[in-house]
Amino acid sequence: MTVPALAQRRTAEAAPAASAGSGWRWREDLIGWAFAAPFMILFFLFLAFPIGASLALSFTSFGLRDLQNPVGATFVGLQNYLDLLGDPKFWKSLLNTVYFVVIGVPMTLALGLLIANALNRGVQRFKTTFRVGYYLPVITSIVAIAVVWRFLLNPDVGLVNMLLKAVGIDGPAWLANPATSMPSIIAMGVWRNLGFAMIVFLAGMQAIPAVLYEAASIDGAGRWQAFRFVTLPMLRPTILFMTVITTIGYLQLFEEPFVMTGGGPLDSTLSVTMYMYQQGFTFFHQGYASAIAYVLFLIVAFVAFLQFKFLRSDT
Amino acid sequence: MESNTITPLTARRTRAGPRRLLVALACVGLIAASCGTNSGKAAPSGAAAGASAVAAASLAPAISPAASLSGTLTVWAMGNEGVKLKVLADAFMAAHPGVTVNVTPVDWGQAVAKLQTAIAGKQTPDVSQMGTDMMGQFAATGALEAVPANFDPTAYFQSAWNTNIVNGTVYGVPWYVETRLLYYRTDIAAKAGITKPPATWDELTAMAKAMQATGGAKWGISLGTKNWQEYLPFLWSNGGAVVDDQGKYQLNSPAAVEALTYYASFFKDKLSPTSVPEGFDITPAFVAGTHPMFFSGPWHLSLIKEAGGPGFETKWTTAPMPTKVSSTSFLGGADLVVFKNSPNKDLAWAFVQYLTDPKTQVAWFADVTDLPAVQAAWSDPSLTGDPNVAMFGTQLKSTMAQPATASWSELGTALNSTLEKLTTGALTPQAAADEMQAEAEKIGAGD
Repeated sequence: MTVPALAQRRTAEAAPAASAGSGWRWREDLIGWAFAAPFMILFFLFLAFPIGASLALSFTSFGLRDLQNPVGATFVGLQNYLDLLGDPKFWKSLLNTVYFVVIGVPMTLALGLLIANALNRGVQRFKTTFRVGYYLPVITSIVAIAVVWRFLLNPDVGLVNMLLKAVGIDGPAWLANPATSMPSIIAMGVWRNLGFAMIVFLAGMQAIPAVLYEAASIDGAGRWQAFRFVTLPMLRPTILFMTVITTIGYLQLFEEPFVMTGGGPLDSTLSVTMYMYQQGFTFFHQGYASAIAYVLFLIVAFVAFLQFKFLRSDT
Repeated sequence: MESNTITPLTARRTRAGPRRLLVALACVGLIAASCGTNSGKAAPSGAAAGASAVAAASLAPAISPAASLSGTLTVWAMGNEGVKLKVLADAFMAAHPGVTVNVTPVDWGQAVAKLQTAIAGKQTPDVSQMGTDMMGQFAATGALEAVPANFDPTAYFQSAWNTNIVNGTVYGVPWYVETRLLYYRTDIAAKAGITKPPATWDELTAMAKAMQATGGAKWGISLGTKNWQEYLPFLWSNGGAVVDDQGKYQLNSPAAVEALTYYASFFKDKLSPTSVPEGFDITPAFVAGTHPMFFSGPWHLSLIKEAGGPGFETKWTTAPMPTKVSSTSFLGGADLVVFKNSPNKDLAWAFVQYLTDPKTQVAWFADVTDLPAVQAAWSDPSLTGDPNVAMFGTQLKSTMAQPATASWSELGTALNSTLEKLTTGALTPQAAADEMQAEAEKIGAGD
């Protein structure tokens, strides 16, 4: 959209000097492409080409035997996709991922909004300390986080169960029990991603003109009403944005279970991306893994489409 | 008109579009067109490491030992071996002026991916270390050179040699081995009134019960809740097998159901913990006495010595795998392979020969405590002197390994997942055996 607009403006400028025009345009284009080249080259080499290649792979039975001669892989049509439909482990991993998204996304957004609001309008002292504190997990290495969380959740010597014991509750073996493993992963995921949601919401809130709050308070609005009738409506685009990118991110759940549970116990934390990784790089069924990747891509695209459609329309 | 002047620009853009698409389509076309070339490739499944496979010599021609070696070798080695192999490489270079050996250390966690990348990019090293369980997978890529007939199969532990035979061809030479023994606390056993190691399955159960009931230990034994390497020794010791001579899976044979019943009994009777926290370390638990028995490899000898401190050495010992039909333990370790792309294969095999020479194997044991895969090395006093090390040497003569098939990593994962259901009580032994068999038949040999 912007490109034709730019071109239009340029032709308008260039029109009077018609004779020198075409050469200059050509040179200007070349300069433009040269500036864009580093991005374009990297984009096609490392993004567009692999995306296309994996789509092609998903229609083959690409495996160990084809490693030395990739173009010799056997074409199997839609077989990988059909196999996927009848693969109980895939469905299990999809269900686990949906579980993580359905609980994790609203929790992350609600808590992020709550904390951002508190930091924006409530808490005055140690504001920076809190902001840094909530944001730190976002930039901390996931492996370091996993080590600490594994300590916290250790059934015998972990802090969580020790606190529970102090109030007379016998805590479960959090990560080793199929019923509590996913809630544990969700807790860690929400804690880790909270900071990012908070920062974005905070930025959105600070862009809301103070006059609106003044007007609201003159009309007799309390804190809750100011939040409900000023902050929330003004933040709608931000909330939509955060819902979409958090959902997309959470649908690709990988690191948390990978470092914390390895997908267990009893596959209770196996996510779609983990299953894809296992198929692609442990068993080297790269054709099958590519099919999983494309199914996940379609799901992500569909969910994002729905969110845009419904969240945007009621503004 | 404005639109006219825009045209060249947009035209150029759209021209680029279809051209990219064409290239992409051509790629797909290539793959589709060559779909027939691989169809006849499916070979009969490899049962090479099966129950009765005898040590078969390589069918590849022998190489003539060159009088003077020269050239450059790149050798990949993993983990601790990658760090220490330089010592042997230096000794080899000193003996052969004109030879350069470059050792590249590779992290075990990255090993499979790095080797796959190297094969795909045709940038393989000349020689590489390879886990015994990786052989089937990498032989299937077609990147490994067959072992020349110079190597005598009978010089090695038979089950170690067999890990290299994939579909009848020998692709590697055993470098070092490991097997699993029972580690147990003699002091806790004595307190429970037991003074000799458990020789049979019944004695192992009785000992675990006694240690928990009267020995003061929290648990009787610590068995893996989801680890095929710990289950298979019980299957083999009961006369069972993963595959029969024809390469057919035997995972729900009566012997297998019995072995699974026995294995599950430790969990059912609360002798072994059913839930183990991620990252659980058995060594401190063994020293503390809460977990007085477990099965493990030679690496725990030094770990326990270190954690136990002075005076602890009298409180524990090792024992062979308890006998049912036989006393058969698991064999692991690593093999050495040479890649087809290597420009200097004679030199590569000469280096492999040097590494598997009995004298080098003894020196290597002194350096990194890797147990020699060459049987002749085991007569050296450094190996016979320590009774615990000697015990590993005895057990090594009665070991088995997983079948060397391309699909092993997948089947191993499936077995672990079923074992987890068995040990947590979600499946009966019969149901677990049937699930293992069904999974194995679905996965196949991976050809």
